[in-house]
Amino acid sequence: MLKRVTRLVPRACQLDPGHFLHGGPQAPQSLAARLDDQVPDENPRAGSHPSEDDPAGAGEQREGRHYRIPLQDLPTVFPHGLPRRFSLQVRTFNEACLMVRRPALELLRHLDDTNFAHPAVRYVLYGEKGTGKTLSLCHVVHFCAKRDWLIVHVPDAHLWVKSSRGLLRSAYSRRRFDQPVEAANWLKSFKTANERFLSQIKIQETYMWNKRESTEKGRPLGEVVEQGLTRVKNATDAVGIVLKELKSQSCSGAFRLLVAVDGVNALWGRTTLKREDKSLMAPEELALVHSLRKMVRNDWHGGAVVLALSQTGSLFTPRMACLPQELLGKEGFDALDPFVPILVSNYSPEEFESCIQYYLENSWLQHEKAHTEEGKKELLFLSDANPGQLERLCAYL
Amino acid sequence: MAAAALSAWLTLQPGTRTLRAFCTSVSPATRSAIPSPPDRRPRYERPLRRKALPPRTEKMTLDQDWPSVYPVAAPFKPSAVPLPIRMGYPIKRGVPMAKEGNLELLKIPNFLHLTPVAIKKHCEALKDFCTEWPAALDSDEKCEKHFPIEVDTTDYVSAGPSIRNPKARVVTLRVKLSSLNLDDHAKKKLIKLVGERYCKTTDVLTIKTDRCPLKRQNYDYALYLLTVLYHESWKTEEWEKDKTEADMEEYVWNNSSSEKNILETLLQMKAAEKNLEVNKEELLATKEVEEYKKSVVSLKNEGDNENTLSQYKESVKKLLNLM
Repeated sequence: MLKRVTRLVPRACQLDPGHFLHGGPQAPQSLAARLDDQVPDENPRAGSHPSEDDPAGAGEQREGRHYRIPLQDLPTVFPHGLPRRFSLQVRTFNEACLMVRRPALELLRHLDDTNFAHPAVRYVLYGEKGTGKTLSLCHVVHFCAKRDWLIVHVPDAHLWVKSSRGLLRSAYSRRRFDQPVEAANWLKSFKTANERFLSQIKIQETYMWNKRESTEKGRPLGEVVEQGLTRVKNATDAVGIVLKELKSQSCSGAFRLLVAVDGVNALWGRTTLKREDKSLMAPEELALVHSLRKMVRNDWHGGAVVLALSQTGSLFTPRMACLPQELLGKEGFDALDPFVPILVSNYSPEEFESCIQYYLENSWLQHEKAHTEEGKKELLFLSDANPGQLERLCAYL
Repeated sequence: MAAAALSAWLTLQPGTRTLRAFCTSVSPATRSAIPSPPDRRPRYERPLRRKALPPRTEKMTLDQDWPSVYPVAAPFKPSAVPLPIRMGYPIKRGVPMAKEGNLELLKIPNFLHLTPVAIKKHCEALKDFCTEWPAALDSDEKCEKHFPIEVDTTDYVSAGPSIRNPKARVVTLRVKLSSLNLDDHAKKKLIKLVGERYCKTTDVLTIKTDRCPLKRQNYDYALYLLTVLYHESWKTEEWEKDKTEADMEEYVWNNSSSEKNILETLLQMKAAEKNLEVNKEELLATKEVEEYKKSVVSLKNEGDNENTLSQYKESVKKLLNLM
């Protein structure tokens, strides 16, 4: 399959550049048509061509191939946005294509086979910098969104422990601190992502916000979210309530819950936030971190927890640290134990080839040597098959 | 004389631009600056200058007795060493300097008096003062078994006004902990007490003493230290039960948070399957939990690497029925 693709590419380049660029959206189809002529019995979507929109597929044959997320899904499934460079790529190519890779496939297989009566299993994606942990997490989130799960997605837990303005003493517990801005942002994204569930789920307790306002038992969860959004001072408490309710109600089986947190090592690391007397805070003293820690414990069932470790953005960790115990520390490891560690590594040769094909098809690589064998070998050597590095290199070509 | 001849030969060479420094050199400059007054005595009364003899190396045979040429530590004599040694930094397009008149060869210590033949002769001479090695101790293991403690002392002999040397009082005592009768708690306590003096890879405790003025006193002190350490490590004080997890040398599974987590998880799983008649010991004794325990212990003790992480992953998958 791969040989045929490489033979095709020189043929495509014999067309003059004007023709190629002209038929931008049509070019992939012309390629597909050629493949059809050549190999009528094989699957027409060979190589890296974006195929179905269904994130789960036929298993290992789909490894290395891209799948497309429809653009209208993006604001609802990923309201806080995808990672910065990927969203730039989405805007440039006008389509969001993720490569299907082995760690994501493994996770999806496990999620398919989840036993919802058992306690939630925690999966931790770890790997070196730039290998695709965040995008694998996004793949899983999209998969679960398509399957109609309720998604609790924290795109980067590091943002909650870093420079945050407007720290308030929590009204609920004197020892902890609120972060109204971050909490309000998260509530907004949560609302966009899970609109349809907010009216279905009813809260099981009465919550008093202050002397005059309260939310009665049996009201939809949407009201708690609204309260948090309108009264920003109560936003952190609203987040805590939302998480608590979701946890207790997921056991009932009305919905499936997916908790996806990126940069989870921030919850057990150190912060750079200072108290009034200028001493550094421990993460436990932040109410948001406290509620999130309770969420990733496995004392509930009816869903799954997918976490990704991240050194970029983490505080006070060495740059080369990428293994679970190094980033989580003793406390984090003991809190997450037992979890399933999933390694995300650099591209395999097929995946690398597929990625280059994708860039070539979208005319992203303009350098004349980019499609030759030596060009590819050079790119492989320079990037060491690291997806992040490859993407940055190709941006210059 | 050889030096003077050499300097003349060098100045005749067209390639050399620099004259090297010699230890015994009479530079042409000084010779010409102060001319000696003419000697008016008749030729038969002038002191006869001996001609330079050929170096001793030319008369050496291949099977000569080398220890007699260099019986003691002596400086390097180029005329007495028959080896064509060169030493020094070469100038451009040149080679290192030859051995004649080479200061570098004089500066370094040489062991020409300690060739294997010479050492053999020394040993033969010393044999008269030695006793027989006990025949029963013919292997290292037997030596260790019967004589586990090794004591190193050094004696210094030098020619000088006094025979005393302050360095001679140092006594080093080495013993393997496996030959001492220690149980688990005693061994850990002993290692904590001695700190740096214990080597983990070779399991050897080294005690070096030099605080007393005499060697005999230092030896007694070292033995006393060993005795005290041994007896103290067997005792258990009451404050030792405050030992926290942070003090532990290695990860202990029992009563750890990992054990509690897994127990809770398993109980919840069983409760979900409506299987309420299990008890904790049974749950903890299953094969999967054993495997999980081993993988967690190796992960914590050895740190993260591919092996330990994949082992942990497999054991968790089996435990949570994810296969």
